[in-house]
Amino acid sequence: MHLRRLVPTTAALVIAAAFLVGGAAAAPKAQITVYAAASLTDVFPKIDSSQRYSFGGSNTLAAQIQQGAPADVFASANLTLPQQVAQKGLCSKPVVFTRNTLVLIVPKSNPARIRSVYDLRKSGIKLVIAGSGVPVGGYTLQILKNMNLSSVLSNVVSRETDVREVLAKVALGEADAGFVYSTDAKTVPGRVTVLKLPAWAQPKVQYGICIVSASQHKADAQAFVKRVLSKAGQAKLRAAGFLPRVKPAVKRR
Amino acid sequence: MRRAILATAFFFAALIAFGFLVLPIVAIFAHTSPRHLISQLSNAVVTDALRVSLETTAIAQALVLLFGTPTAYLLATRRFVGRALLVTLVELPLVLPPAVAGLGLLAAFGRTGLLGSSFEALGITIPFTQTAVVLAVAFVASPLYVRQGIAAFEAVDPNMVAASRTLGAGSTRTFFRVVMPLARGGLAAGFALALARGLGEFGATIMFAGSLQGVTQTLPLAIYAEFDRNFDATLAMGALLVVISAALLLALKLSALWQASRQSSRYRSGLLSWS
Repeated sequence: MHLRRLVPTTAALVIAAAFLVGGAAAAPKAQITVYAAASLTDVFPKIDSSQRYSFGGSNTLAAQIQQGAPADVFASANLTLPQQVAQKGLCSKPVVFTRNTLVLIVPKSNPARIRSVYDLRKSGIKLVIAGSGVPVGGYTLQILKNMNLSSVLSNVVSRETDVREVLAKVALGEADAGFVYSTDAKTVPGRVTVLKLPAWAQPKVQYGICIVSASQHKADAQAFVKRVLSKAGQAKLRAAGFLPRVKPAVKRR
Repeated sequence: MRRAILATAFFFAALIAFGFLVLPIVAIFAHTSPRHLISQLSNAVVTDALRVSLETTAIAQALVLLFGTPTAYLLATRRFVGRALLVTLVELPLVLPPAVAGLGLLAAFGRTGLLGSSFEALGITIPFTQTAVVLAVAFVASPLYVRQGIAAFEAVDPNMVAASRTLGAGSTRTFFRVVMPLARGGLAAGFALALARGLGEFGATIMFAGSLQGVTQTLPLAIYAEFDRNFDATLAMGALLVVISAALLLALKLSALWQASRQSSRYRSGLLSWS
């Protein structure tokens, strides 16, 4: 009897509390929220530790922004996603702020004895890649196509939601191999072996950044983007293994 | 006067709570036209996910029945030191965050895990297979069945069992002809709850089994994977899960009613009565 009355009351209290918390968070503050590709997890806080970050697959972040997520800046592991968001008028025209390369990683123990990317053709190998909507997943498909290795996709045992999930599955030794950015491999030294992929087959891995149109802190967001593009910001990116940004090759796609 | 204020306050609190709980479910169906939802159901991602979900849950539920029933029976009928501890351990996965369950499954059955490394030596790899999905589902869902099962077996009148035995039935016969029929309602309730929980499994599965269309990608995983690509397909899958879950709950309620009207015994399923 008591319980039956208690439940709605508690629910009401919870809702009231949620409103209170929401109200408090809306108070003006210089801190901005940056939605950034999972591969930037380690380096962005090094460039600016005072912001709030949400890291994940760029495609997931783009979808969240389109659903009205409270992001101020969107940093994607490709240009197409922020361009799509910009086309809908939801963020500014993206600029390239860094580049990356794709590598193949195997666990240190290398249970499947993979010595080169061509060994992925062996049957029974547990290859983990990112989903095709995730930038790194798209790049993976591209590099395999460039190398005429698309048949190895039959060895894929999981399509992960972002690059760090691929990294984790290989670093844990659960998967035999996976495609990640060279910068991701650097974050787990001693746990994975990096197999380089030929430069001629590399896709164009460009990271685009834009300011979300619905942002309430546009000036702060602008300052953050400037900081990423600044000498100091670029030095931090290069220290983490990212490639220097070059003039975006527009209208190539 | 005071009473009236309190009653009104409660009424509005209940109204808000009710709206809060119902609105998201209605929104899934209201976001796009029903015809569009149905057309999405023929999407290969959706059909594959539905098949994987049904296959893995069916196997997991069979295992839950096979191992959970004796476990529940023993825990319900035997009194021994550490019984309370065992019951708590069995219930633990119920309150465990699914991500922790996934982590635990990896640490136990992963290629470098406690048991997994031995399996690996035998040439059996569990992660990224449907077996992994089944294990994840069974791990999170079975406690619901065992818990209900203990309650159901405990509610069986010991006099009935004693009568059966004194009338010459062996313990096996008594179990299958007396105990099981009496506990059936409670067991079915536990089974339905475990089934619903298993169908919704997400966290442990994505960590332990990964996500591959047609192999390990269950409906909840497909919803997550398609969220940014095809929002309509995710809505269709969401609607599908709502319908399945609602059907399960309804079946549960109806069977509880049916049981109650059919049996005049003191037995009650307890947890899942209407009031």
